[in-house]
Amino acid sequence: MSSRGLRSRQSSGVSRIRDDQITDLVSKLQLLIPQLRRGRSHKVSASKVLQETRNYIRSLHREVEDLSHRLSELLASTDIDNDQAAIIRSLLM
Amino acid sequence: MASFLPDLEPGPEMSPEFERKKRRKTEGNPSSFHPTQGNRRIKQWRTQREQRIYSSNLIESLRRSPTATGNYVRDMAYRFLAVSAKGTTRWSRAILLGRLAAGAKMRKHKRAKVGANRKLRKPVSNIQKRKLPAVERKLKTLGRLVPGCRKLPLANLLEEASDYIAALEMQVRSMTAISEFLASGGAQPPAGRLVNS
Repeated sequence: MSSRGLRSRQSSGVSRIRDDQITDLVSKLQLLIPQLRRGRSHKVSASKVLQETRNYIRSLHREVEDLSHRLSELLASTDIDNDQAAIIRSLLM
Repeated sequence: MASFLPDLEPGPEMSPEFERKKRRKTEGNPSSFHPTQGNRRIKQWRTQREQRIYSSNLIESLRRSPTATGNYVRDMAYRFLAVSAKGTTRWSRAILLGRLAAGAKMRKHKRAKVGANRKLRKPVSNIQKRKLPAVERKLKTLGRLVPGCRKLPLANLLEEASDYIAALEMQVRSMTAISEFLASGGAQPPAGRLVNS
């Protein structure tokens, strides 16, 4: 485990390589985050991208939580019978 | 209501054959991350096919457990999501191995890590001193959010995070479509969402 950790590789030579990697990968990550894609695409710092990524993942987690609870409530009130399951499946496939 | 990346156009680029070939390639090396492979995986999350398969699995499990609580639904949702990844990513493997186990480990690790960080940051050169800690801190918090990725080196962590985000987006799209369908009483198919998103 320690061989893979960031900390075990801290020397100035490796840090320079990591900087390039950071900017490259961070710019790719930037493309995935909705807030960062619109407009000011080239002025965003790595730190900001990471922060927004974090916030975005957290908001997605929250959405999944809310949707899960909503689905459980809907399930309680409307049982999915065989017909409906078939409908859904035919819509999906 | 959330917006689901209206700019993206999934579907047409993915023929079933191409997806099958892609799957064979990505199943080879779970720990090596090439940018092109990562991109292909991310695109797969955005295909209609992937969403259909996921939705179908989720619906089936929900149908079998109509008294499911919100937590149960959520656990099922994440489990199926991890299954959809077919073991190609670290976060999906971590979920499958058990979210409870990961939670317990996290508490132990938090205490051990704080001391280790401070000692090991000192050898870094002066120029890097200001920059590294901030970015590293943020990388670490990001690592905590993605399952199983807390000790991952930079490149892999960002790859995992990208894939995880794409997967989560699909999950949200799917669950939204299902809940809309159920909310409408199951009688009318929701326009567009299930098929076109």
